[in-house]
Amino acid sequence: MSLSYLVKRIGFILFTLLAVSVIVFGITQVLPGDAAQMMLGENATDDALAAVRDRLGLDRPIWLQYWDWLSATLGGDFGTSLRTGLPVSEMMLPALQRSLLLALLAILLMLVLAVPMGIIAALRRGKPTDVVIGLGSYVGVSMPEFVTATVVLLLLANPVLGLFPATGYVPLTEDFWEGLHHLALPVLTVSVILIAHVSRMVRSEMIDVLHTDYVRAARMKGLTRRRVILRHALPNALLPAITIVALDVGYLLGGIIVVEEIFAFPGIGRQLIVAIQNRDLPAIQAGALIMAATYAIVNFLADLAYAALDRRIQYA
Amino acid sequence: MSAGPVLTVDTYSLAYGTSAGAFQALRDVSLALQGGEVLGLVGESGSGKTSLAHAIMRGLPPNVGREDGRILLGREDLASLSQARMTNIRGRRLGMVFQDPSTSLNPTMTLGTQIIEVLTRHRGLDRQAAQRESVAMLERVGLKTPAAMMHRYPHEVSGGEKQRVVIAAAFACQPEVLLFDEPTTALDVITARQILDLFRDLQSETGVASLYISHDLALVSTIADRVAVIHQGRIVEQDPAERIFSAPQDAYTKRLISAVPRPDRRLVDDEASSTGSTLLSGQDLTVRYGRPSLLDFLNKDRAKRVTGAQSVSFDLAQGEILGIVGESGSGKSTIAKALVGLNPFTGTIGFGSSKLTGRRDMDAAYRRAVQIIFQHPDSSLNPRQTVGTIIARPLRRYGLDREAPVAETVAGLLRDVQLPEDYARRYPHQLSGGEKQRVAIARAFASKPQIVICDEITSSLDVSVQASIIQLLLALRARHGTAYLFITHDLNLVRQIAHRIVVMYRGDVVETATVASLARQPEHAYTKALLDAVPVPVG
Repeated sequence: MSLSYLVKRIGFILFTLLAVSVIVFGITQVLPGDAAQMMLGENATDDALAAVRDRLGLDRPIWLQYWDWLSATLGGDFGTSLRTGLPVSEMMLPALQRSLLLALLAILLMLVLAVPMGIIAALRRGKPTDVVIGLGSYVGVSMPEFVTATVVLLLLANPVLGLFPATGYVPLTEDFWEGLHHLALPVLTVSVILIAHVSRMVRSEMIDVLHTDYVRAARMKGLTRRRVILRHALPNALLPAITIVALDVGYLLGGIIVVEEIFAFPGIGRQLIVAIQNRDLPAIQAGALIMAATYAIVNFLADLAYAALDRRIQYA
Repeated sequence: MSAGPVLTVDTYSLAYGTSAGAFQALRDVSLALQGGEVLGLVGESGSGKTSLAHAIMRGLPPNVGREDGRILLGREDLASLSQARMTNIRGRRLGMVFQDPSTSLNPTMTLGTQIIEVLTRHRGLDRQAAQRESVAMLERVGLKTPAAMMHRYPHEVSGGEKQRVVIAAAFACQPEVLLFDEPTTALDVITARQILDLFRDLQSETGVASLYISHDLALVSTIADRVAVIHQGRIVEQDPAERIFSAPQDAYTKRLISAVPRPDRRLVDDEASSTGSTLLSGQDLTVRYGRPSLLDFLNKDRAKRVTGAQSVSFDLAQGEILGIVGESGSGKSTIAKALVGLNPFTGTIGFGSSKLTGRRDMDAAYRRAVQIIFQHPDSSLNPRQTVGTIIARPLRRYGLDREAPVAETVAGLLRDVQLPEDYARRYPHQLSGGEKQRVAIARAFASKPQIVICDEITSSLDVSVQASIIQLLLALRARHGTAYLFITHDLNLVRQIAHRIVVMYRGDVVETATVASLARQPEHAYTKALLDAVPVPVG
C-alpha cells in the first residue's frame, strides 16, 4: 500500500468529518430557540437574553461562529455544556471510553461466537445443526434491540434468578469482576444482531470457499481436515466478513444508544440522549462528531485489515 | 516392476444421484497402470474422465449414488479405507495436479507454505528441513529463483510458474501414482510446452506412474505410453500411443481422430485468396486501455495506460480467411473489438473506398457488413431472450424485416446453421454449448455481412463440436462468399482453414505470411517457438 494512498484516504476522512461538522453545526442553528433562551428559560427578560447572547457571541455572523467552534474543536475544546456548565470534553470523553469498551466486548463476543457458528453451519450444511443455527440467526437479526434487551432482562436479570444486575456500571479498574458482571447484559444485547448477521455471512462465504479448487487441492494433498478448514478455507471466507463487520459498526453505534438507555449505562449514547433532551448544543455537536469520526476510522481500519489479509489487494 | 500394476481400476462403475434420477457417470471401467508408465486418458467433456480421477482420489461429491467394482493402489482397495487412512495416502502415495494453477493455489498463502505443508504433513520434516527441501524442489522444477519464490504469493508469479509450484508439491513426497487433470489446458501454448517438457523430465527421473487426463488426443499421444479413450463413461479403446492415430479400432475413436485439427489436412481451396480485392484493412491500429487519472494527467504521466495493441496493420481480401494467432494478452481480441467499434482506437480502418479513423466513422452500413462472434455464447446471448428474438434483433436493426416476414427469415437462418426451426422459441440455457454457438453464428449472418470476425469461437468447445462448427463456417462461406477474420490460439486449427496467418505477440504483429510459407520458413523467432510448441498429431 502506497504512502500516497494513505494520504489520500486520511484526507478523505478529514473531508468527510468537515462535511459532517457543517451539517451538525447547521442543524443546531436551525433548531428553534437559541442557546441563551435554553439557559435562561422561557421567562427570561430581553435584557438578560441580550447579555448572554453577547457573552456567547450568538449575535455574530454564522460563519464566524462556525469558524470559532471548529477551531476550538480541533484544539480538543468542545465548549462548555449548557446543562452542567462543565467542559463538554470532560463529559464526553470518559463516556466515549465506556462505550468503546462496550462495543469492543460486543465485537469480541461476536467473533468468538459468530465465526465458529458460521463454520459449523457451513460444514453441516442442510443438517439439523445448520437449520438450528440458521433459525437462531433469523430470529436474532429480526429482533430490534429493545425487544432483545427485554428478553435478556426477563431471562437473566429477573428477581427470581438475579444472575446479572439489570442496570448500572462499575469501572473495571475499581472492581474487575463486578465491572464485567455489569457489562454482561448490555454487551450480550448489542452483540445478538451482530452475531446473527456475521454468522450467516461466514456460513455463506465458507460454503463458497469450500467448493473452490484450492480447497479441493488442499484436500487432495492429504492435509488434515482441520488444516484444510482453518488454514486454507477460513482466511478466504473471513475476507468479505471484514467489510460487513465494518459496515455493521455504523449500525452498532445506533444500537448502543438504545442499549445504553435501557441498561442505564453511562456511555456516549446516553450522554447524547440527555444532551438532545436538554438542547445542550455543544454536547450534541461533540457527540455527533465523535460518532462520525468513529465510523470513518473503523472503515479505514477495515480496509487496512483487508489489504493485510489479501495480498492481491493493492491500494494505490 | 514384477509386483504387478501400481494402480488398478477393476470393472468400476459410478452413478450420481440427481433430481432427475440416477446418472451413470462411469460404466465398467478397467485400467491398469504399471510402475513407471504414463497412461493417457482422453475424452470429451462429460465423458467421465474427471469423475474417474475423483473416484481414484476418493474425492467424490456427496451426491454419489452407487459404486461398483474396485480401485486398487498396490493391493489396497481404496474404497474400503477410512477417511483418515485415505487422507494419509493422498499427497504421499497418490497425488494430483489440477487444470488451472491460478485457482488450485490458495491466494492467501505463500507458494513456499503450500509446499512446506505437504512435507511436514507426510514426511514428518520439521519446518526448517521442510523449508530447505522445498527450495530444492522448486529448483528441480526449473524455477530460476527458488528461494525468492518461497515468499511470493500466487498472484505475483506467472501461470507457468504457478503450475511448476503445483507440480513441485505433487512430486514432493515421491508418490507412487500421480494424476494429471489437464495440467496444460489453462496455459498458453509455449508455456504449456515447457510444462510438458518438465513433466517428461520429472517422470523419467522419478519413474512415477502417471495417469494423464486430457481432451487433447494429439498432446496425449506425444507423451503417453498407452492411450485409453473414454466415451460416455466407458473405455472404448486402449492402445499403445503410436497406434492410436494410425490404427484406431473403435468407431468413436475414429470420429474423434478425424475431428482433431491437422495442419496437413487443408479444408479450404487456396486459390480463393489471391483473386479477391482488399475488403477490409487496418493501418497502424493502436488500442490503449484505461483512463489516466486526473493526477496522472496533470503530471503528464500517460505511461500508465496499458497498450492492448500497437500499430497493427493487416488486410483482408474478399472471401479470404485470415487467421490471427497469439497467446492470451497478445492483443488479438483487442483488435477484433476495435474493428467492430467496441474498443476506441487510433489509426485507420479501410473499408471499401472509405477510411475510418474513429468509432464515430462507423455507420450502419459498416456495422452491418462487419459482424463478430464471441468466444463464450453463454455471455454473448441474452439469457432472458428467446433464440428467435436474439436472431431477429439485427434484422430489425438494419431494416431487413421489411424485406420478408421476420419469422420466416429466422427459420431460414436456423436451417442454415443446422438447427431445428422450433428452436426459435427456446431460451439459450435449453441449448448445448455447440448449439448456442450456432445461434451466435446465425445472429452474425442475419445482417448478410461481408466480413465475420470469429474471436476464439471454438475454444470452449469439444473437438468434435469444434469440427462441426468449422464445417458450418466453411459451408456458409461457400454459399455467401463471406470473409473471415479467424482469431484463435490453436495453430493446428488455423493452419487447416486460413489462407494467411497474422502472428501477434505482446500487442505487436510479428509476422504475416501465407500458411504454406509460415510452416516452411517462419521468419520471426516467436513464430518458430510457437510452431515448435504445438504437438502435431502423429501417424
